[in-house]
Amino acid sequence: MATQPAPPAPGQSAPLFDAQVHARRWIDDYIARAPLHDLLRSGPTAPWQAMLEELAAVASDDLGHARERVQRHATDIGTGFRIIGDGEERPWPVSPVPLLIDAAEWTGIAAGVAQRAELLERVTADLYGAGTLVANGTLPAALVTGSPLFLRPMVGIDPPGGHHLHFIGVDLARGPGGEWRVLADHLRAPAGAGYALENRLAVARTLGGLQAKLNVQRHAPFFAAFRAGIAAACRRTDPRIGLLTPGRYNPSYPEQAHLARYLGLLLVEGADLAALEGKVYVRTIAGLKRIDALWRRLDPRLLDPLAFDTHSQIGVPGLIDAWADGEVVLANAPGAGALEAPAFAAFMPTLSRAVLGETLKLPTIATWWCAGDAQRAHVEANLDTLTIAPAFGHLPLGLADHASRADLLADLARRPQDYVGQEEVALSTMPVVVGDRLEPRPFTLRVFAARGADGEWVVMPGGFGRIGEHPQATAVAIGEGLWSADVCIHGSEPVAAISLLTAPDSLHVRRNPGTLPSRVADNFYWLGRYLERGEALLAAIRVLLGNSIDVDGGAVLSPATVGKLVGLIVGAGGAAHPPGLSRAALTAFARAAMEDEGWQSVAAVNRYAREIGEASRDRLSADMVRLLEAPFPTQRGMLERAGTLQRRYAAIAGLSAEHMVRNDAWRFHDLGRRIERAMATARALRLFGMKDDTVSTPDDLSTLLDLGDSQISYRQRYPTGVARVPVVDLVALDPGNPRSLAFQAERIAEHLAKLPVLGDDDMAESQQSHATALAAIIATATAADLNPDTLGDVERRLGTLSEAVARRYFLQGAEPLRAVGLTLA
Amino acid sequence: MIYHIRHITRFDYGNQVKFARCNLRLKPIDWPGQHLEDYTLTVEPVGRLGPAHAEAGLANVTRLVVDTPVRTLSIESAARVTVDRLIPIPDASDPTLADIAAWARASHDLSAAGPANYIYPSPLIPLDPEIGDWCAQDLTPDRGCLEAGMALALRIQRDFQFDGTATFVDTPPRDAFRQRRGVCQDFAQIMITGLRAAGLPAAYASGYIRTIPPPGQPRLVGADATHAWVLLWCGPVRGWVGIDPTNGIWMAGDHIVMAVGRDYAEIAPVDGVVLGSGAQQMDVSVDVEPLEGGLSYSTAP
Repeated sequence: MATQPAPPAPGQSAPLFDAQVHARRWIDDYIARAPLHDLLRSGPTAPWQAMLEELAAVASDDLGHARERVQRHATDIGTGFRIIGDGEERPWPVSPVPLLIDAAEWTGIAAGVAQRAELLERVTADLYGAGTLVANGTLPAALVTGSPLFLRPMVGIDPPGGHHLHFIGVDLARGPGGEWRVLADHLRAPAGAGYALENRLAVARTLGGLQAKLNVQRHAPFFAAFRAGIAAACRRTDPRIGLLTPGRYNPSYPEQAHLARYLGLLLVEGADLAALEGKVYVRTIAGLKRIDALWRRLDPRLLDPLAFDTHSQIGVPGLIDAWADGEVVLANAPGAGALEAPAFAAFMPTLSRAVLGETLKLPTIATWWCAGDAQRAHVEANLDTLTIAPAFGHLPLGLADHASRADLLADLARRPQDYVGQEEVALSTMPVVVGDRLEPRPFTLRVFAARGADGEWVVMPGGFGRIGEHPQATAVAIGEGLWSADVCIHGSEPVAAISLLTAPDSLHVRRNPGTLPSRVADNFYWLGRYLERGEALLAAIRVLLGNSIDVDGGAVLSPATVGKLVGLIVGAGGAAHPPGLSRAALTAFARAAMEDEGWQSVAAVNRYAREIGEASRDRLSADMVRLLEAPFPTQRGMLERAGTLQRRYAAIAGLSAEHMVRNDAWRFHDLGRRIERAMATARALRLFGMKDDTVSTPDDLSTLLDLGDSQISYRQRYPTGVARVPVVDLVALDPGNPRSLAFQAERIAEHLAKLPVLGDDDMAESQQSHATALAAIIATATAADLNPDTLGDVERRLGTLSEAVARRYFLQGAEPLRAVGLTLA
Repeated sequence: MIYHIRHITRFDYGNQVKFARCNLRLKPIDWPGQHLEDYTLTVEPVGRLGPAHAEAGLANVTRLVVDTPVRTLSIESAARVTVDRLIPIPDASDPTLADIAAWARASHDLSAAGPANYIYPSPLIPLDPEIGDWCAQDLTPDRGCLEAGMALALRIQRDFQFDGTATFVDTPPRDAFRQRRGVCQDFAQIMITGLRAAGLPAAYASGYIRTIPPPGQPRLVGADATHAWVLLWCGPVRGWVGIDPTNGIWMAGDHIVMAVGRDYAEIAPVDGVVLGSGAQQMDVSVDVEPLEGGLSYSTAP
C-alpha cells in the first residue's frame, strides 16, 4: 500500500507537492499490476519518482495530456525532416516516459557493446583480408558465403583509414533476470540514431528539469567523436565529409537529413558525385571539389555500377576503385554487413574467445545454425520451443507463406544452411502511457557505437528504445515495435557541461561546410521561381475575381481589361481559355487556374515548390518546411482561398528574407525569385502598360498596379489619379520600388557578381555578361519610350540568362559524369 | 587441341556517347584442362585499358575507359587456348549428392573457386520452388553426383526446346522454365536452380564451344556466340565437373571456359556504363577454330 505523503513542508509550493503525490500514486498503481521483472518494479523507484514528478509538473494528473505534449514536441522537431500528409508520419510515436538506466548498469552494457564492436571489426577484417578464421576451421566458408551482404569483390582491399566499421547499432533485450542480451547487429547503415536525438529533444523540452535532477548523460560528445573518427581516417587534415543518401524517396531520408545537419555533413546523392582519375568529387557551384569521406546510407550493391550491380542508377561509377586506392573513406566499408546474418550469432561466443581471447560481456541470444548436423538435430527436436528463422537475408522455401511443417522439415533436410533456431527471449517491461495510466510493455533497446578519433569505440549513452504493443511480446515478436522511448542514463555524478555546445543536444556539432552542391543550388533556384510564379498567378486571379482597393476594380473592370487578364493567365499556362467572359465563365476559369492539374495552375506550381522543399529540408528551417507543406486550401470561396495562399506565400517570402542566412543557397533562391518576378512584370507591362496597339485604359493601368503590388506606392506619390507614364515608370523603371523591373535587374546582377566563378582571369562569365546587359537596357530606358519590342527583348534575355545560370551552376547543364544508360552484353 | 578464338563485340550508338566505362571479362581464365597460350585485346576507335580492383567471379577483368566522344565501339578479343580435358565417366565410387552437399556446407575454402560460394541463391538465380521441384526427381540424395547431374541435364535437353527468340539476356529462369524454351543461358540457369535447391554447389560457366564440328558429327548448338553451361562440384577428388544441358554433354575437349561465377551478372563478358541518350545496337560474332588436326575429340565415345 502506498504510504500517505506528508503534508507540504513550510516553503514548499503546492504544485510541487501535487506533483509528488501524482507521481507516487502512478508508481504505486503501476507496481501493483506490473510483472515481477518489470524495470520499474524490480529496481529503485527514486529515479522514476523524480522523472514522473517532472511529468506531473507539466501535465498535472493527466498522463494522456503528457503523452500528447511530448508527441507534439516530437512532431514539431521532426517536421523539418518529414513529409507531413504523405503517409510518412513518424514511424514510432515517442512515449512521454523515458527508459531509465542507472549509470552503473550502463557501464557494463557500454563495455559489452564496445567489446562487440571491436570483435565485429576484427572478424570483418579477417574475412576480407587474411581469411584465417575460415582457413583454420573456426568458421565454415558457407557461413560467410550465405550472406547476401558478403561482397566478394571487396576481398583483398584494405579499407582507407584501416577500419571497416565506424558506426554500428546493436539491438539489446533485457531478460526476466535483468540480464542484457544481444538480439542483432546492424553494421551497414543502422537507422535510429537520428530518432534517438529527436526523442531526447522532445523529452527534454517537456521534462526540462530531468537533466539536472537525474544527471542524464548527453549525446553530443558521442556524435562529435564519430565525426572526429571519420575525419581521422581521411588523408587530408581538414576533410570534406558527406552523407551519401539514396535520396528523398528513401524512408530514412528524413533521419539522414537530420543527421547530416546535426553533424555538419554535406548531404549528397550519387548524382552529386563524380569519380575521376581515382578521386571522388562533389559537384558544387564552384566546380568539382574533393570529397574525402562518405557516411553511406546507400545499399552497398548500389554504390558503384562498375563494381556491383550495373543496373544501379544512383551509384557513382568508379567509387569503389577510388576507395580501393585509399582516396575516399567509406563508413562503413562495403561488405561490412556480412556479419549481420543471424547465423553468425551462433559463432559469436567462439569468435570472441578465438579473436579477443575473452568471453562475451553481453551474451548473444542463443542460436543454432542448422548447417551442422548436431545443431540441426537440436533444432528439429525443439521445433516447438525455438523460433525458426532465416539464417541469411533470403527467405528459405520452408518458411514461405504457405509452407507446412512437413515442407519445413523437407527443406531443412535439403538446405539446412538456410535456417537457424533461436531461443525465445522473454522481455522485461517498462511503463508506458496507455489511455491515462501507466501500463507495463516489453521493450528492446538499440545502442549505437562509433569509432572516435583515436580508433577507440565510443558508445552513445542511451539509444533508441522500442516498445511492443502487446504486454507479453517476446524479443522476436516485438519486431519494429509500436512506440519509441528516449533512453536516459542517469547517475549521481553531475554531467559536465560541454563547452562545445551552449545547450544540451540542440546545437549543431559543426557548421555546415560552405560548399554548395549544384543540385542544392538548382533546388533553391527553382524553389524561388515556383514560389514567385505562384504568387504572380494568384495576384492575377485575385484581380480577376475583384480584390482591388480601387472601388472600380474587380468585377466592373472593362471587358477589354478582363480579356487581357485572361490572356495573361492563359499565357502563363495557368488554365485553358474560357468560352466567354461571363461572370460564370470567369469564375470557372479562376477555379481552373487555381487548382486544375495538368496545367501550370496555382495548385500545380505549389506542388512543385513543395517537392523541391522536401528535397532540401536539410537546409530549410522547420517553419519554412511547415509552410511549404501546409495543405492546399480547398474550403470556402475562391477569393478567400486565394487570399489564404497569398498570405502563406508572403510568410514564406518573409522567412526567406528575414531568416535565411545570406549564403549562396539563399542567393540562388533570391535569384530565382528575381528572374521570375522580372519576367512576370515585363509580361504585365507589355499587356497593360503600352500605348501603341490599344491605348492603356485606366482599368489597364490600375490592373498593372495591382499585379505589381504598387497601388499604394502609386497613390501616395501621385494622389491625382492614374496616368500611363508615371505608372510605367513606377512598375518598370523606379529602382526604389522593390517590385519594379529595374530593382529585379539590379539584384540579379548583384547576385551573379557575388556567386563563385570558375576562372581566375577576372573575366565575366556568360551569365554575368547577360545580367549586366539586361540591367543596362533597363537603366537607360525611359517610361515614355518603353515599347513592346524592348519588353519582349527583356523577357527573352531573362530566359537566356536563366539558361546560362543553369548551364553554369546546375547538374543538368554540366558535363555528365555519371550513368544515364548502361551496356550489358 | 589448340583453339583460336576471335570474339568481336561491336556497339553502334544512335547518338554520340561521351563517356564509357566498362568491365571486360573476355580473356579466358586458366582452368583444369585448359591453358591460355596467347591473348590480344583490341579496342577501336580508342580506349584506355587498365586493371579493375573489385571482382566477384573467376574472371580476368580489364577496365575499359573511353573518355572521348564516340559513335561506335568495337572490342576484339583474340585468344589461343590449349584444351586437354577428358570426358568424365560416372563411376559407382563417385560421391553421392548427399556427400557433396555436406562437404560444401562444411568447406573451409572461402575463395571464389570454393564450393561454399555456390550453394546459395544469387541475384539472377533465386531458389525457385517450381524449378526445384521439377529437378528434384533426378536428385535423390543417395545418387552418384556425376550420374545424377547428367540425368538432369539430359532431361532438360529433352524437355526444353532451343529457341533464340523466346527469351532475352535478362529473362528470369522461371519464365524460361514455364515456357519450356530458351537458349543456353536459360537452360544453365534452370539446372543451377535445381541443383542449388537440392543444396548442391553449382556454378555458371561462360565460354565457347567449337564452331565447326568434327567430320560426321552434328554442329553443336550455341557455337556462333558465347556459350553457357553448368559446373557441379563433385568433391575434392573430382573437383568441378562441367555439364552442358543445352547439348546434353559433358564439358570436355570442345568447351573453352572464359569465366566462372555464381551467375551471369558476375561474369558478363562486357558490362558497365555509358553516357549518352541514344539507343544502342550490339553485334557479337564468335569464331572458334581448331588450329591442329581435330584429334582431341578422339576421347569422345
